[in-house]
Amino acid sequence: MKLIETEILVIGAGPAGSSTAKHAALNGAEVILMDKKSEIGAPKRCAEGVSKEGLSKLGIEPNSRWVTKELSGVRLISPNGTDVWMKEDQVKLPEAGYILERKVFDKFMAMEAARAGATIMIKTLARGMRKDNNGYIVSCESMGEDLEIKAKIVVGADGPESRVGRWGGLKTAAKPKNMESGIQFEMVGVEMDDPDCIEFYFGSVAPGGYAWIFPKGDDIANVGLGIISTYTDKTAYEHLLEFVKNCPATKNAQPVELNIGGDPVGGMIKNLVKDHIMIVGDAAGHVNPLTGGGIITALEAGMYAGEVAAAAVKDEDYSEKRLMEYQEKCKNEIGNSFDKYLKTKDYMLSLSDSDLDSIAKAFQNTEFENISTKELIKLLIKVSPKALLKLGKLF
Amino acid sequence: MIVKEWCMYCGECAGVCPRCLIEVRETSLNFNEEGCKDCRICVQVCPVKALAKEE
Repeated sequence: MKLIETEILVIGAGPAGSSTAKHAALNGAEVILMDKKSEIGAPKRCAEGVSKEGLSKLGIEPNSRWVTKELSGVRLISPNGTDVWMKEDQVKLPEAGYILERKVFDKFMAMEAARAGATIMIKTLARGMRKDNNGYIVSCESMGEDLEIKAKIVVGADGPESRVGRWGGLKTAAKPKNMESGIQFEMVGVEMDDPDCIEFYFGSVAPGGYAWIFPKGDDIANVGLGIISTYTDKTAYEHLLEFVKNCPATKNAQPVELNIGGDPVGGMIKNLVKDHIMIVGDAAGHVNPLTGGGIITALEAGMYAGEVAAAAVKDEDYSEKRLMEYQEKCKNEIGNSFDKYLKTKDYMLSLSDSDLDSIAKAFQNTEFENISTKELIKLLIKVSPKALLKLGKLF
Repeated sequence: MIVKEWCMYCGECAGVCPRCLIEVRETSLNFNEEGCKDCRICVQVCPVKALAKEE
């Protein structure tokens, strides 16, 4: 059987994997980035929103090839229709951002990895791996051919279904209560009150999560929701059909694409490394437990993973202890805030539709200055005595 | 496991399988039926009800 050798093998070419491969290659490592799909980035499993602040922090310049819409505000809608508008011309919105075209963006990020020196293998599926003297040998299937790839470090960027981490002894399996079922139509004929604002719908419309409308320009939008299966007897698809039927903005809209996918919202996995193994992105729980957003954190964690993996190669030290530097970075930069968002999510899930309506009403009568996820939670604490009790010490 | 024609291979089932028995390929799912303990968590989480257990 054909055997290929490399220093770092990254499995999965989403944002986390491509970022890992890019930064490992930029730091001098020999890298292979593989993906089981024939087209990187397709099908999308995502609402496609990112913050300007997040991209800027990572030094990624917005590109007209993958930005479909620049946003200028947010609309929050409670179960009875009470809405709260927050627009950039009235308040500071540091997390306002862009809607991407993920099919283009993901390919763009993989191209960046290739330009940095990584070798890309598409339509290549990892089927298992075994320990070798100084690394792992990964069994793969590529266009009908069986082959093996020997690597000193294997990085699992294989999404919410991650098997790489589990093969390496990491506990990446999600409990059903921590796996949000995301489902979305891309629709045409969407009639939004303001097509420059993203909309979030809360309450029983999406048990365990929320529904969204993310505009993509003209009358096109991603219309979707995330639910937790333990909170409802209906499927995510049934909830989506109901939402589309009842939401005024989508009554006359037609779907042109259906996307589905799991979103691990249980917080960052405790252990991200083992000897010769690292996990990153959705596989590592790099998803904000409150919002379900994970593109920026995946790119950020990928940058840390790539840098540490390349440094470990230089040191010829692939031990868990050496790779722990990556885990510590993730914990400090991502995980600590996720712990707070996880507690906030638990609190939000305890609220009834009428609680949410009351909070929305209180928000309507409040002056905003600066709105971010954190600021919204602080505001929630201000207007809700229950929130003060549960979250007061955290924020 | 019966995989319905409308399965979209999103992999959510594989992510929750406590025994890591599901291989998600680009256009198919492989189940390791021998190791299955019939917990049916994969069936429960599927967003489009594309999985059913053979009775």
